[in-house]
Amino acid sequence: MIQMFHVSKTYPNKIVALTNINLEIPSGEFVFLSGPSGSGKSTLLRILFGMERPTSGEVIIHGMRITHPRFKKIHHLRRIIGFISQDFKLLRDRTVWENVALALEVVGCPPQEIKKKVGEILLRVGLQERGRDSILSLSAGEQQRVIIARALVNQPLLILADEPTGILDTRMKEEMMGLLLDFHQNGTTILLATQDRELLQKFPYRVIPLQGGRRMDIIEEEVQEEG
Amino acid sequence: MSQFFRYALFRAFRNMRGNLFPNLTAIGIISISLLLASIFSLIALNFSYFLKRWEEKIGVIVYLKKETSVNEVEEVLTRIRELQGVESVKYISPFDAMAFLEDRLGEQRSILDGIRPKILPPSIEIDLRREYRTSAQIKELISRIKTIPNIEEVQYGHEWVETFSGLNHFMHLTQWVLGGLLLAAIIFIISNTIQLTISSRREEIEVMKMMGASPAFIQIPFYIEGLIQGLLGAGLAISLLFLLYEILLQSLTPLLKGWISPIPIFFFSGETIVAILAGGMVLGLFGSFIASMRVLR
Repeated sequence: MIQMFHVSKTYPNKIVALTNINLEIPSGEFVFLSGPSGSGKSTLLRILFGMERPTSGEVIIHGMRITHPRFKKIHHLRRIIGFISQDFKLLRDRTVWENVALALEVVGCPPQEIKKKVGEILLRVGLQERGRDSILSLSAGEQQRVIIARALVNQPLLILADEPTGILDTRMKEEMMGLLLDFHQNGTTILLATQDRELLQKFPYRVIPLQGGRRMDIIEEEVQEEG
Repeated sequence: MSQFFRYALFRAFRNMRGNLFPNLTAIGIISISLLLASIFSLIALNFSYFLKRWEEKIGVIVYLKKETSVNEVEEVLTRIRELQGVESVKYISPFDAMAFLEDRLGEQRSILDGIRPKILPPSIEIDLRREYRTSAQIKELISRIKTIPNIEEVQYGHEWVETFSGLNHFMHLTQWVLGGLLLAAIIFIISNTIQLTISSRREEIEVMKMMGASPAFIQIPFYIEGLIQGLLGAGLAISLLFLLYEILLQSLTPLLKGWISPIPIFFFSGETIVAILAGGMVLGLFGSFIASMRVLR
């Protein structure tokens, strides 16, 4: 369960990224976060992942009050989240396998299990033949698939995805969505930020529209009520 | 838990391999610093032992006036025996002194021909109790002896005692000052090397944080790196010191060997070596802790 109460974010350069965002996403739901560039989608995901602190408001994820000043267990939060984002770089001096395996190593997964899980996820993202290859030898689309594999290998309870299919071709885009839907069907909560109208039309899940850092659906409701 | 430490060890070694030159430089500088400190400690240790042995042999010789009668000698002996710090006294008559001289001269004793024992003054050799062998206490004792009648002169190796005591004090002082400076230098070097490793691993650390790595998971490999640097540096210092010690012993000329043979030259005991190695590790740990405090938090 994700809960945000009156969350606002203003950057030190006075740019307002989010204004009074309230939202609630029950466990197991698939939700799209839509909006043009600069609408606040990435900031919202970064706040949920604990990469940024909101200027005001409260955020609760799976019972963890992550905006509490004394919240120190950020690593506990991140262990239940798979974050797919271009911000979250791959290690260029490692192989595909090592990049994906690192996600399991940091949580103390036994070597045998690491071997099994990494093999499985690379197969699912179509990179089973490229495990030993250096990250530098991959195309942008392949690197994106490694990012997705790394985020999902730990079977997270929550997936936060920031434009995960943006640089993938149509076939890979469908395969990646298929992979996310598999996780969703197994009970994983998914919050996917995208500008891709095709995706929004094709998958009939709840959409939270953002514009200028505000929830447009709530604003429209308020306007209708006032009208 | 053991898996965690295996992985931390693996990462520590990988970090060291990745920054081989800074790590080797750090180990080299640590070993040179510890070698310098150890050389001083070893000299101070041997010097203290030598001084202790020498102090054990310190005695006071009291020369009596030539015309002192037997009764008066008895009186002097009784009064000296009553003084605090006196273990035993031995009267050396002029005849005993002449016999001693002849014995020391050996084949050249003929130079004493025609000299009568009477020209030598009678004397008293005083053996001091162990706890009364410090320079200050000997001076105090001598000032009391000098108040006894019929005493011509009191002799003891006061210049030597004072010189050795001063030198010993200086050695200990140097050992601590140098030790303190080198300690600070070692911590500084280790913390900077670890900082360099951390900087070169910044991207990896960021990625690990994003994946939910605990602070301990990130920091412990750097602590291990510091420990290894300290241990290797200390081990190298001890090995070099032992090599120098052996070379010194081997290169002593037979003449010098004969001269110093009653004084053994010690190397550190097993316990001291373990303490130096442990000290190196503690310094390494402390240096890496400072680096991680500076960079990781």
